Amino acid sequence: MKSFKAYFKKEILEAKRTHKYLVLFIGIIFWPAILNPLMLKLLPLLMKNYLPAEAVGMFSDLTRDSAFQSFLSDSFQIGMIVMALALMGLVANEVRLKRLVFPYSRGANPAGIVLAKYIHYAITISLFMLIASLINYFYIDRLFTGGMLSVIIVLESTLLYMLYYCTLLSVLLYLSSLFRRGLAAGFTVLVLAFSLSIFNQFKIIRIYLPNYLIFKAADIGYIFDNSLIPTVTVSFCLIILFVFLSILRMKKIDIA
Amino acid sequence: MIKVIGLKKNYGRVEALKSISFEVEKGSVFGFIGRNGAGKTTTMNILTGLIKFDGGKIIIKGKDFLKNKQELLKSIGYLPETPTFYNYMNAYEYLKFIGEIIGYEVKNISKLLEMVKLTKQSKKHIGAYSRGMKQRLALAVAFMSSPEILFLDEPASALDPEGRMEMLELIEGLKDEKITIFLSTHILNDAERVCNKICIIDEGKILLTENLSQLYKSYIQPIFDVEFDEDPRSEINLLKKLNWVENIKEEGKKISLYVKDIDYAKKEILKELSKLDTNVISYQIRKSTLEDIFMRMIGKNEII
Repeated sequence: MKSFKAYFKKEILEAKRTHKYLVLFIGIIFWPAILNPLMLKLLPLLMKNYLPAEAVGMFSDLTRDSAFQSFLSDSFQIGMIVMALALMGLVANEVRLKRLVFPYSRGANPAGIVLAKYIHYAITISLFMLIASLINYFYIDRLFTGGMLSVIIVLESTLLYMLYYCTLLSVLLYLSSLFRRGLAAGFTVLVLAFSLSIFNQFKIIRIYLPNYLIFKAADIGYIFDNSLIPTVTVSFCLIILFVFLSILRMKKIDIA
Repeated sequence: MIKVIGLKKNYGRVEALKSISFEVEKGSVFGFIGRNGAGKTTTMNILTGLIKFDGGKIIIKGKDFLKNKQELLKSIGYLPETPTFYNYMNAYEYLKFIGEIIGYEVKNISKLLEMVKLTKQSKKHIGAYSRGMKQRLALAVAFMSSPEILFLDEPASALDPEGRMEMLELIEGLKDEKITIFLSTHILNDAERVCNKICIIDEGKILLTENLSQLYKSYIQPIFDVEFDEDPRSEINLLKKLNWVENIKEEGKKISLYVKDIDYAKKEILKELSKLDTNVISYQIRKSTLEDIFMRMIGKNEII
């Protein structure tokens, strides 16, 4: 518990001092939640002299639902990339730069270290996602009309996104403990995240993969149904598995 | 206090430690000396729980290190050769962070900073510290919660002469406080000054483990260096005839007298020198320094 507390505080300090919060804010909140709806609204006005009328019309006909779906899509793409690149060195850098020498030589508990890192960023990312969704809803509600979007729907989608991000964070954490270079962990997670989306076309398999959470989050009006039960179960199991594997790895790894 | 039995460590096919064994007594300063790549840091990293080992047994404070690692590490302080920190933190924040892990009281941190002379720089980011300052901060970390055993890996290597002297004085002080110190160093003069026991390691093997006083006795050289007032050429033949003299080497007004029995020679030499016509300015037994012994041991190991 002592190691957990110490590392949790250290992660907060590190995220502040090394601008990780700022990077995550830009990737998860600013770009998809603030910039995206403004661009969707302003783009047709700015481009009306340059684009064919049909294309401009496509933008003008956007409802609140489609604007929110656009936000979710940006969150998946930009948010994922930013998260993977900002947090890829979560464990790898600690090991490679020998920053764990003192804590380990003074009896720090590897489980406490891993859990502190995971829980800190799981909370941060979930919180950022919630803020992003609410800000986005605020803009969409004022800039667009039509559709059935409500705060409840926004919260339902956000909940699925939070679980998806937390699942990928656990994979990233494990890969970061596995590779000496954080970049390898970051790129592997990105390849994994984007390639798994392909399986969303296959009804039988997709419900057992975390990327189905992304698919269902955009299914406005029908977000929560029974098809999510295996997906949510698998996602929670994956989180537990990868966090456990990370702890195991950190217990066995040579620090110096 | 520390007992190492048949410790082995491999890095792939390379045998870094070839079944080494030694014992460190409580309250002693154990000098662990060897060339670069001899296996000093590997041994230290194993004994501080940072890396695994492939064979053998470690007993610290009478307990199996593998089975009681977390508990034993709480009574161990480690100063690595190149300490690394979170550069965005300042010294106070870092000590507080480590203190939280080991349950060290925050109120004692300022005393610790004072001890390592970092009070003025305690609010400065560690990234801006010099190597010597980092070394001193590392020392503060190692000293937190008064460890019973201290592992010091080249503690003076990054320090200026003044810092080095302070470090040695500190180690001597710790000796009085009955803290067991495991000191790895290249600077043999330092080892000579503070260590009770010396262990020489080379190519992953222990070549020698001996108390320093016993070591000097065992490796004393049977040579007397004598200096005369004038060139003693004519007198040398008289000395050569003595049956306890093995050989004489001349160098101007100085001669080196190689003897067969050092104890017998000690009794006889003054008598014989007083019989000569040439005045003797000085004479002394050539003492082996730790460096001489080290070089001889390493040399033998290379022949083997």
